[in-house]
Amino acid sequence: MRKVLIANRGEIALRLIRACRELGLPTVAVFSDADRAGLHVLAADEAFRLGPAPATESYLRGDLILDIARRTGADAIHPGYGFLSENAAFAESCEHAGIKFIGPPASAMRALGSKTRARQAADQAGMPRTPGSVHGLASLDEALTVAANIGYPVMLKAAAGGGGKGMRAITSPADLPSAFTSAQSEAERAFGSGEVYLEKLIERPRHIEIQILADEHGHCVYLGERECSVQRRHQKVIEEAPSAVVGPDLRQRMGEAAVCLALAAGYTNAGTIEFLVDPDQNFYFLEMNTRLQVEHPVTELVTGYDLVHLQIRIAQGAPLPFAQQDVHLRGHAIECRVYAEDPDNAFMPSPGRITRLLQPGGPGIREDCGIYEGWVVPMDYDPMLSKLIAFAPTRELAIARLLRALDEYVIGGIRTNLGLFRRILRDPDFQTARIDTGYLDRLLASGLSSRPEFSQSENGAEGSAVPIIATAAAAIFEATRPTPVTPTAPPANAWKSAARTEAVRDFNGKARS
Amino acid sequence: MKFDLEIDGQTRKVDISPSATSGQWQMQIDGEPVEADACLLRPGVLSLLVHGQSHRVVLDADLANASANGDSADPALHLGAHRIEWRAEDPRSFRRRRRHAGTDGPITLKASMPGRVVRILVAKGDTVAAHQSVLVLEAMKMQNELKSPKEGRVIDLRVAPGDTVSSGQPLAIVE
Repeated sequence: MRKVLIANRGEIALRLIRACRELGLPTVAVFSDADRAGLHVLAADEAFRLGPAPATESYLRGDLILDIARRTGADAIHPGYGFLSENAAFAESCEHAGIKFIGPPASAMRALGSKTRARQAADQAGMPRTPGSVHGLASLDEALTVAANIGYPVMLKAAAGGGGKGMRAITSPADLPSAFTSAQSEAERAFGSGEVYLEKLIERPRHIEIQILADEHGHCVYLGERECSVQRRHQKVIEEAPSAVVGPDLRQRMGEAAVCLALAAGYTNAGTIEFLVDPDQNFYFLEMNTRLQVEHPVTELVTGYDLVHLQIRIAQGAPLPFAQQDVHLRGHAIECRVYAEDPDNAFMPSPGRITRLLQPGGPGIREDCGIYEGWVVPMDYDPMLSKLIAFAPTRELAIARLLRALDEYVIGGIRTNLGLFRRILRDPDFQTARIDTGYLDRLLASGLSSRPEFSQSENGAEGSAVPIIATAAAAIFEATRPTPVTPTAPPANAWKSAARTEAVRDFNGKARS
Repeated sequence: MKFDLEIDGQTRKVDISPSATSGQWQMQIDGEPVEADACLLRPGVLSLLVHGQSHRVVLDADLANASANGDSADPALHLGAHRIEWRAEDPRSFRRRRRHAGTDGPITLKASMPGRVVRILVAKGDTVAAHQSVLVLEAMKMQNELKSPKEGRVIDLRVAPGDTVSSGQPLAIVE
């Protein structure tokens, strides 16, 4: 392997470029018109334009990406997550072009990447799965029949899906028609395939997934589990490793089932098998993600392995450098997905300019981030800004460490969900790990705002005046700040010019007295 | 320097004069004197000491730059984990404050962010219930339903499926 093309953007592109640099591999970045100023362009050794901002004209254009790989002499492509990462046709095009796709072979992606095919594979491997269809639904009539057979509530899902897109929970037949159409159109737009299927909704499940790594010599290991039960709209919000409810026995049973499925499908490289775990600790196969996951850092922190390094080593044909008995979990890691969205306004995406950025640091804190002060978050892509991860000896200390880092973190100019994490991490149910995939929706429905109140008790008797003093100080610095002189300077704000005149008059007055 | 500060919807009268020591401000809030020491660390980041208590104040944006860039005109600052929306007004200016519209009369549904109209769920002339979905807007790969804020009749639809809309663009009018 001589050079790696990074077929992605944002924080994951940067994370992959860093890994390549650590391994002495030069990198080629690709970018859309919305990302010319992206950090991944700056960080890579070479960077080439793909096309206009929409992903279908840029990051999903496998043909253009392969052209750039050929032109630059890149002999490997890392797809990251999302975009082309689970596109078997693209992996196959890479194979034909003699370019190594850093991920599983196209055949294994076909067998496991589609959720419906993966359900068939799970049946063959004898792995428990949720009841429901194992093929895409041809029509609304078929959907109604399947739903009636398995019984409501049911879950409608995109076969090519991920991240909760094209996914709907349905409680009665009346809700199925509109959900069916909107899920199909959302899936079609997001994944280029409108195939949807139905499965039985498991009540109050925990989402627990197993990370596996398989080399090209028939070795496969599992690297413990991640719990991702804190979700909103089926989108993971907080992930942690290990899960508070998984003991050595359950871990081994889930891990061995995952390895069995991967080996049966001829899977190589990094992959994740997702399970739902019910309150009685029964686990049901949900789907397999045939790529690196957003939440891979929590596994890296508790196992000590760098998953991207290992992905590259495996793609280079090296055998796994360790065996299952060498994998030991140590400590606890928790990740927050920081999004440009407004928790006080129905979580509407909040693209725009990041006018201020104060980033956390210190012991045990990792921030996988693709933003900087002055960057304009485009409206064309997923609004994830960064991942804030804390690692500590225990879950309790990891929560405390994450709260400390959240207090250091300021992202100004756009709305973010940072306040939501403070609220979750202080919630007694989260602190005692009484969580399931409906936990966050219940917390949000409890009606309390995620905006913290400035508490007087914490800040002394004068505490209540502090917000006013702070605002007044901000106003006066703002009013007396020299305005940069530019030909296109906007018309001065009325109160500001009056304030400035007043301030000058005061200084003059002092000088005279 | 006297001005009205609007902080999270509440108005305070503030009178500030710089004292001899740099960074120290004599301040009166609603007529009550307070002392504070504010130090600008770098643009937008203030260290504020009030009776020995240390506070970090981060201004979201420079107001002039924000309007020049077309960014949110809604200034905010971060006091620790607390986000404060504020506006300052010189009482001598006669600029009227914007009032929030009530629910009487026609209400214009506006796009809360740039996006694309996926589907329109009502027709012109339809009656809608409060919180009934009017149309579906897709932005950043998520579909969001826009709901009518009140019960009424759709008297105008300004967009069609497939239209790209900008933030604040009128989409429909409910009377």
